[in-house]
Amino acid sequence: MIILELHQVEIDYCPDCKGIWLDTGELELLIEDETEKKRLLNSFKKQEHTKEKLYRCPVCNKKMDKVLLDDEGDPVMIDKCKKSHGLWFDKNELYLLLDKSNAGKDNKVLNLLNDMFNYETGTKGEGA
Amino acid sequence: MWELIQANKRKSFFLFIGMTILLLLLGYFIGSAVNPYSGGITGIVIALIILFILNMISHFSGSKILLAVSNAKEVTKKVHPQLFNVVEEMRIASNLPAMPKIYIINSPAPNAFATGRNPKNSAIAVTAGLLSMLNRDELQGVVAHETSHILNRDIRFMTYASIMLGTIVLISEVFLRGMFYSSLAGGRRSSSSRGGQGQLIIMIIAIALSILAPLFATLLYFAISRKREYLADASAVRLTRYPEGLASALEKIAGSHEELKTATKVTAPLYINNPLKRKGRKASSLQSTHPPIHERIKILRNMAHGANFSDYQEAFSNVKGSVKPIIPASGLTDHEDIQIRKGEAGKGKIKNARQSKRNLEDLMLNVDRYDFINCVCGLKMKVPPGYSGNEILCPRCGRKHKTIK
Repeated sequence: MIILELHQVEIDYCPDCKGIWLDTGELELLIEDETEKKRLLNSFKKQEHTKEKLYRCPVCNKKMDKVLLDDEGDPVMIDKCKKSHGLWFDKNELYLLLDKSNAGKDNKVLNLLNDMFNYETGTKGEGA
Repeated sequence: MWELIQANKRKSFFLFIGMTILLLLLGYFIGSAVNPYSGGITGIVIALIILFILNMISHFSGSKILLAVSNAKEVTKKVHPQLFNVVEEMRIASNLPAMPKIYIINSPAPNAFATGRNPKNSAIAVTAGLLSMLNRDELQGVVAHETSHILNRDIRFMTYASIMLGTIVLISEVFLRGMFYSSLAGGRRSSSSRGGQGQLIIMIIAIALSILAPLFATLLYFAISRKREYLADASAVRLTRYPEGLASALEKIAGSHEELKTATKVTAPLYINNPLKRKGRKASSLQSTHPPIHERIKILRNMAHGANFSDYQEAFSNVKGSVKPIIPASGLTDHEDIQIRKGEAGKGKIKNARQSKRNLEDLMLNVDRYDFINCVCGLKMKVPPGYSGNEILCPRCGRKHKTIK
């Protein structure tokens, strides 16, 4: 995993699978809207049976839990470290989550992710 | 100056003897408690063997052990050229026979220490937090303080003393834990079957000694280390001719609330400022490893006339209101007029909090040997040393970059 920095924001990124790692507390920093932040953080639901492959936490190397986020709309299934080291988002998952949440078009993080990985156009780089 | 070093060597010797006696007493009583007939002698022999082994270890690799437990990493000039410059400058000023090895500890808490066997084999370790917080003049003050520890032969003394203290703590702990578990596992048999009252008394002494010996050793160690801090401050000013640099650095260090996680009770006296911050304890208590930092700053700021030892002693007496000599008499006979130079302490390094945090993190990655790739599109990629691929695709613009293997 490598670290990407753009406009003084750092993101842990896997160049092979294009996934993104957020340390505990970083997701909270990314969402600006307070009510949205609360709603999203309270929507974590652990999934016991899933076909998705279990990943290991890059910090403690223990198998992570699968959790559903934001089950009101289209839920996003992400990986959460059992020891709360952080969250793993597969390719595009973080963008989808922030895009869906009521952050709006002015969300700086969304724009940054867009800029960093070309999510919207997806033509130039490999990120999309 | 030479006599100052002699005085320090003498003190090291007394401390060494004091700690050895303590260790032998501990060995004798623990041995007697375990076996009342020949245990005392066996205990002393075992203590002597442990002492010998540990002294060998501390002589040849004591500083390596201390650096390792502090998680300090040796760095090249590329990682922090300014630090290398300042150390080189102080090496020349203090006339050290060899350049100390330079280590950086990856911690945001600002602190520093010096270690080594003698001035030819020495090392200076500073934390990443210290480097990101201080400007050049302040860093020079801290490095001068550490160089003084090397010059005054404090490093050997501190390295030995901390390993000795570690041994005493270790033996006591093993004995006390052993006692605890054997009493759990039905140890009553052995205590009632033989010995009698005399054995009971020896047992009590052994327990008391294993509780008290680490405390005594710590007090002894700390008492001398406190005085050495003043002396190193005084020598640092003599080297830099700029008391405000060190004063301002100490002020910044005192103002930080970051905790140095790798510091322990044994390594604490090595640092420029006590890394173990405990709440609700009086700063000048017997157990403190360092003189109160605010007092040190006050003394440094009181030095208006010059940068010689006698000026430091004068400032010390002014601040403390006592005539107790902190500098040995031989250091005060030198009346050479060393002028204080002008500097820029307190200025610079005031960037926005985010930028300075980023600089600190980049420095820590640098110490960990990360490879920094700057893509022309503006994206910065930081690649860990164990990265498996040969090239990385910039996720922003798609350019290929080679990684350093």
